[in-house]
Amino acid sequence: MWIREILLAIAGLSAGVAVAGGLFSFIVELGVIADFADRTHTGDKVRFYEDCAALGGILGNLVTVFHAGIPAGLPGLAVFGTFTGIFVGCWAMALAEILNVFPVFMRRARITRYLSLFIVCLAAGKGLGSCLFFFRGW
Amino acid sequence: MKHERETLYIKGGRNTEVAKPDVALGDILSMECPDKMTLAKLRAMKIMKFPEKGRGRRVLSVLKIISRIHEEFPELDVRNLGEADLIITYEEQKTPPRIWHLAKTAFAAAAVFFGAAFSIMAFNNDVDVTKLFGQIYELATGTQTDGFTVLEISYSAGVAAGILIFFNHFGKKRFTVDPTPMEVQMRLYENDIQTTLAENADREGREIDVDP
Repeated sequence: MWIREILLAIAGLSAGVAVAGGLFSFIVELGVIADFADRTHTGDKVRFYEDCAALGGILGNLVTVFHAGIPAGLPGLAVFGTFTGIFVGCWAMALAEILNVFPVFMRRARITRYLSLFIVCLAAGKGLGSCLFFFRGW
Repeated sequence: MKHERETLYIKGGRNTEVAKPDVALGDILSMECPDKMTLAKLRAMKIMKFPEKGRGRRVLSVLKIISRIHEEFPELDVRNLGEADLIITYEEQKTPPRIWHLAKTAFAAAAVFFGAAFSIMAFNNDVDVTKLFGQIYELATGTQTDGFTVLEISYSAGVAAGILIFFNHFGKKRFTVDPTPMEVQMRLYENDIQTTLAENADREGREIDVDP
């Protein structure tokens, strides 16, 4: 019986390392954290942000895997929702940026002006889509 | 009589910040010339001027610098060892209040922390690790999982180890001498920004250059 437990432990450990490597290189290569550091002009704190990402990843994983309860209440949920929303919004845009969605469309449609208008529309559309999704319970 | 031309080597960084609106060559270039008198004069030579107020950013072609040098020292043989386009940023050096900096850091830290937590939770949920671990557990031991097995524990340890190995440090403690992935990413990002600035200025004809 012991040998099986050990095999399981090795499998679990490797799975964890692989998942962490994949997910976090995705986050970093998309440049989400670099964007935050740049927009807030706090590039000197990137090490600290890395620590935060590491801690968030470790704790978030513990919460889902062990179904741990966090008695944070409504205010805690609001904080969690706000910041995860910001993060996911940046993530979505960073993904579009990496895939060169914008340059391709700008060139095809020959859009040279009112760039900021398109960006506002993009954000509004994303927000509206998100609201629809939750209010309609899709 | 054959006169030996002196050689001046100049090297400028890609992005230089200046604190005074009057920019001298010495502020943006490092220079080397056998004739120290010339060198001192060159260092003090004014190359451009920003409007007094606030901040500004100009892209300066190294050709403009060389032509200015040649105006005063036509005999000099100038060799550029640095960038061809120099981005000069003028910003009045007033440090913003420390509390503001801290607040921004706290904001970004919270977004990163909760974002990372949400990402791994979303991933675990998406691929349904709970169910998958149950299946693997049953495959290996033949008994039903109770949701708290060696698999969950080792997976969590693995995630923690993987993240720390990936980021190459925790707190002040570094695991190898390489820069961390975020530091590399920040530099790449900066490079992209600088390339964009220089090329935009060139395309829109705002670069300070000799007449083409």
